[in-house]
Amino acid sequence: MKTKIYILFFLLNISGISLFAQEQKMSDAEIAAFKQDVNVVSKKIKTLSTDFVQYKHLDFLSKDIETSGKMIFKEPSLLQWQYKKPYNYSIVFKNGKILINDEGKKSAVDIGNSKIFGRINKLIVGSVSGNMFDDKEFTISYFKIKGQNLAKFVPKDATLKKHIKQIELTFDKEEATVVQVKLLESSEDYTRIVLKNKVINAKIDDSVFNN
Amino acid sequence: MQKSTIQFLIINCFLAIVLVSCGSVTKNYTPKKLDKTSYQVPYFSDSKTDYVYKTNITVYGNEISGIFIAKKINDTTHRIVFTTEFGNKLLDFEISDTDFKVNSIVSELDRKILINTLKEDFRLLLKKEYLIQEQFGNDSADIYKSKDGKRDNYLFVSKKDHKLEKVIHSSQTKEKFTLTFSSENNIFAEKIEIVHQNIKLKIELNYFKSE
Repeated sequence: MKTKIYILFFLLNISGISLFAQEQKMSDAEIAAFKQDVNVVSKKIKTLSTDFVQYKHLDFLSKDIETSGKMIFKEPSLLQWQYKKPYNYSIVFKNGKILINDEGKKSAVDIGNSKIFGRINKLIVGSVSGNMFDDKEFTISYFKIKGQNLAKFVPKDATLKKHIKQIELTFDKEEATVVQVKLLESSEDYTRIVLKNKVINAKIDDSVFNN
Repeated sequence: MQKSTIQFLIINCFLAIVLVSCGSVTKNYTPKKLDKTSYQVPYFSDSKTDYVYKTNITVYGNEISGIFIAKKINDTTHRIVFTTEFGNKLLDFEISDTDFKVNSIVSELDRKILINTLKEDFRLLLKKEYLIQEQFGNDSADIYKSKDGKRDNYLFVSKKDHKLEKVIHSSQTKEKFTLTFSSENNIFAEKIEIVHQNIKLKIELNYFKSE
């Protein structure tokens, strides 16, 4: 038993050290270059579709809750999140409205009435396209990891901060696009969304967002 | 949306209190000799299992959907979290037969009457043992009466496969709410419904396995 605990501590230590070693703060010049890269790429994005896997981590659970599906974005602000496994649930952000299709049951919410939903919408679009480097809204810090860049956003607004403590966007270094979104509610609980099979600027019909 | 819902809830609760009618739960059932003095419920009793359910709540015509998570964290206590499909935590409770703690709740849901209603519902949902004082029967079920303060719980256990199918929480004169369980293996319940008789509130839980 004791040996096991030692091994565990040893492993934790190693991963702790390697994490520190991997996560390196960017210099001012690197930050400027990174933001420039992301801005150039995100300006070119007219449409984007990607598969995603969402891991909900709650400290007290033995396993993360895994759901997956497809995300489709079209300029300027049409967005659909479609969960396909283990249930069908899709949510569309469109013209100031949220359209929900829950296993065929449809409903709509006016974002106009809900400031927090409006904010979340902006955040999601920003996260996916990668363009949310707004110093007025967030305190942002920048890091390098092997083959990737990492930006951490801490909301300045107290109301938003109650819902989201920090957002972490991981970018592929070469493509300058987002590969992972991590929303931290507290130090223990977070939602991690991994984006893969990304397709940029394929033709996407508006009817996709009818939900 | 939520504000008006809460107001409705409050108004209707008062109405319900004024309009109490008479009638006992057991009037149609035949009294029987006690065959046990306690009943153990298996559905949320395993501390190793993450109980994760897709959830739909209908309250006065409004629909809220999300993910309901319950976990037994020690001998007496369950942790309960309700999140949106995106993973945002809406509420986080710790609940036992005698204690109740709100770890967090979003401001839109932070209303005493709502919290108290959910507390009652969840406490009964997670209750692992009932002490039995009286027994009844009908064609399909053995019915056990268990005192719960000033109120009573009626447990309906199917004669065919000895599964707990229903719990009615009742005052001396009127049914308050009903839990209905569907279980394949009598270890956990795949589908649960909590239906209130005096307020328009229905909670549906559908178990789902993560990938």
